[in-house]
Amino acid sequence: MGVIDKVPVPKPMKFILNWGRRYSLWVMNFGLACCAIEFIAVSDPKHDFIRFGVIPFAHGPRQADLLVVAGTVTDKMAPALKRVYDQMPDPKYVISFGSCSNCGGPYWDSYSVTKGVDQFIPVDVYVPGCPPRPEALLHGIVRLQEKIAGEDIREKWSGELTRPTAPANP
Amino acid sequence: MANSPARLPLPIPEISERLRAQFGEDVTEAVDRHEHAEVRVAPKRYREMVQTLRDDEEFGLDYLDFVSATDYPERGELEVVVHLYSTAHNHHVRLKVSIPRDDPRCPTISDLYPGASWHERETWELFGIVFEGHPHLVKLVLPEPFEGYPLRKDFVLMSREAKVWPGDVEGEEVEEE
Repeated sequence: MGVIDKVPVPKPMKFILNWGRRYSLWVMNFGLACCAIEFIAVSDPKHDFIRFGVIPFAHGPRQADLLVVAGTVTDKMAPALKRVYDQMPDPKYVISFGSCSNCGGPYWDSYSVTKGVDQFIPVDVYVPGCPPRPEALLHGIVRLQEKIAGEDIREKWSGELTRPTAPANP
Repeated sequence: MANSPARLPLPIPEISERLRAQFGEDVTEAVDRHEHAEVRVAPKRYREMVQTLRDDEEFGLDYLDFVSATDYPERGELEVVVHLYSTAHNHHVRLKVSIPRDDPRCPTISDLYPGASWHERETWELFGIVFEGHPHLVKLVLPEPFEGYPLRKDFVLMSREAKVWPGDVEGEEVEEE
């Protein structure tokens, strides 16, 4: 990565870098069910997450910093989601939006629904609800920004935290 | 078709009568169920009946609504359900084919109605019914490594094994306080 890997980052520098990153989150919407509609509502002028620096919609995972998994992930869809996540460049973040992607939600006993997206990709913020209100996602984004502000930039940029793992469906 | 006279739906008793006349003993039941004709047919003449219903002008069932199935473990049977509709006459016919649960085989109708192809694939993977003559019977909606037939009544849901269903079970008396 360059200088950041070699020398300890001074505190003011770290603050500025994190401040810049937290207010320019290009978001990839992985909308799968009714939660995707709530996500779209958040991007609309009424709730408007662009005022928090969240930029919709990245043209593809390779341009995105933030992945919002909104909806019911099935075991069949899991490999595709994993692939999208692995294509995103570091540093990258994941918000799990809604009960289904948090833990399976109302489909907790289903034969086909993945019981939580955190089984195969690391999640930074969980937004509960079925579906959550748009304000809940705004709150989740603010929480994520708080997390980014306090981050160790060397560790995050090393890619160690988000290294690709085994496929979701072996 | 704008100038052709409006074609009225065939009355349900007439549908039953015509099918009984042509297929005799192989039609085991033909009733009016929620204003749709519901016909139970023997597996050996199922394809022939679908062909008749599609090609006969009077029936004119040109639209396949769905193919699915039902599991009846207590009877040891699986039942293939085929719903047909006529866009010209505006009438419905639902066919039911009972097949043994231990050897579930049923002829395909995917050559008569190409739309049946995916329905049959789905029914195959969810119920384990083999549609004989289907050109491409592979998994459609389930992931490849999936084992078992999840819509059969005896399919074990692992989550339910770990945690029993917390709500009311259908048919169970609810205690009032």
